[in-house]
Amino acid sequence: MSGAGAPGFMLAPGTARPIKPRRGTMTGAAVVLLAAITVWAGIGVQVDLPAIAANWRNATSNIVQLLQPDYGFFPKTVPALLETLQMAVIATAVGAAISLPLAFLASRATNPKPKLLAGVRFVMNMVRSVPDILYAAILVAVVGVGALSGIMALVLFNIGIIVKLVSESLDGEDLGAQEAALATGGSWPKANRVAMLPQILPSFASQVLYTFELNIRASTVIGLVGAGGLGILIDNVRSFFRYHELSLIILEILVLVLVLESASSWLRKKLV
Amino acid sequence: MERTGADIRFHDVSVTYPNGFTGLKDINLNIPAGEMVGIVGLSGAGKSTLVRTINGLVPITSGQITVGEHQLNGRGSAQLRGRELRELRSNVGMVFQSFNLAKRTTVINNVLMGRLYHSPAWRTLLGAWRDDDVELAMSALERVEIVSKAYEKASSLSGGQQQRVAIARTLAQRPMVILADEPVASLDPPTSHVVMRDLQRINAELGITVVVNLHFLDLARRYSDRLIGLRSGEVVFDGAGADADESVFENIYGRSLTAEDVLSSKGTL
Repeated sequence: MSGAGAPGFMLAPGTARPIKPRRGTMTGAAVVLLAAITVWAGIGVQVDLPAIAANWRNATSNIVQLLQPDYGFFPKTVPALLETLQMAVIATAVGAAISLPLAFLASRATNPKPKLLAGVRFVMNMVRSVPDILYAAILVAVVGVGALSGIMALVLFNIGIIVKLVSESLDGEDLGAQEAALATGGSWPKANRVAMLPQILPSFASQVLYTFELNIRASTVIGLVGAGGLGILIDNVRSFFRYHELSLIILEILVLVLVLESASSWLRKKLV
Repeated sequence: MERTGADIRFHDVSVTYPNGFTGLKDINLNIPAGEMVGIVGLSGAGKSTLVRTINGLVPITSGQITVGEHQLNGRGSAQLRGRELRELRSNVGMVFQSFNLAKRTTVINNVLMGRLYHSPAWRTLLGAWRDDDVELAMSALERVEIVSKAYEKASSLSGGQQQRVAIARTLAQRPMVILADEPVASLDPPTSHVVMRDLQRINAELGITVVVNLHFLDLARRYSDRLIGLRSGEVVFDGAGADADESVFENIYGRSLTAEDVLSSKGTL
């Protein structure tokens, strides 16, 4: 080999080199399997490509209307817009407050009681497996149409997310300080408070901001089933085919989500 | 900080880990109050296990340990647990190799951890420490000469300073015993001497019993009244540091000494 640095760099040949492991066959099999599953899923839900082509004309007129927002409708959307924001703020605050102690109970690192740990984790998995829109639909039936049911749905949604993410960052935390706190004669809750809480506070704040971002979007969607905010308005204009007005609402959501997401991700970068 | 040290007695103490490994075998020791004891041995010889049995971090399999008026028993006898175990631990400070500070909070908050046992739960939860406790923590920081760093983040301190904060945390407990598990293994030589002198001074001035695991033989000989050599979980030497010459260490280590066994750059005892 020419140009290999200083003379004498290359050793005499003959030393045993490891053989490059073969991964090719497994990767190929995985790709074929994934492709097969995708085709099976497509057949299962009856994807009908010709129908999309046939109905193209219907869609174009709707799309043309959607591209022309009715800006005059803006004043009428302001109360719903504010309600969406308020729902997200309250749901995030309440969800965060409930989640923090639950996260400590849901982490192996901070909960020394195996049975309690398993119980809390089981309940949290249940809470997380229900989609937010389903919570909203159920709560609208229980407490009635309006922002309250929406807030309650979002709180449950937030608890599911925050407890999961914060308990995972607790699991990954260095346990040295906790060991020291227990060695001074502190009980588990006290040791967790002084040794673990300060360590995960930045990541907790970051997760809370992240769920706030999710809530802005989610609170528009859960409104569709009557749980307050912009969603109720969307449902109204959509059922009367007022696509110019619908277009404005979508534009507002877009701007709101973009602005709040960039503000929150800027803040989160400062935190961690 | 006008409390004095406690006696530590090991009576036929053995520790067998769940995986069958024997940590300690029939240890009998009598460490009088106020003594500074260095423990040496290869890694895996049981040094860490020995100090951790004293505050119950490692439960003993058989025998008894008494620390002042507290008693720890082997399996099958009454176990110290709950509040009684925490009371023992509140009297025994511990210093770790990797400092074990909560790095994202302030130095003073770390030292206040030493008051956990005495602080009511609601105060701990709110972080509303008693004025007395804060005063005690401040004077503990004064004793290791870093009180000026009280409101700085622990992570902003150097390794030596972090270890001194950890020592202040044990002082805030007003302990009768301080255990140190390889306290200078993560520090450079000059800083190691500073930390060892702090421990020596605390032992001399406050009469606190100090048990310290050390990897470096010259440090162990220089800073302890008494040396205990462990080999495979058994005591193979127990005597004054001055009596421990090269042949004694070769017996403890089961091999001749190398430059890595001493801290000094000269590579000799």
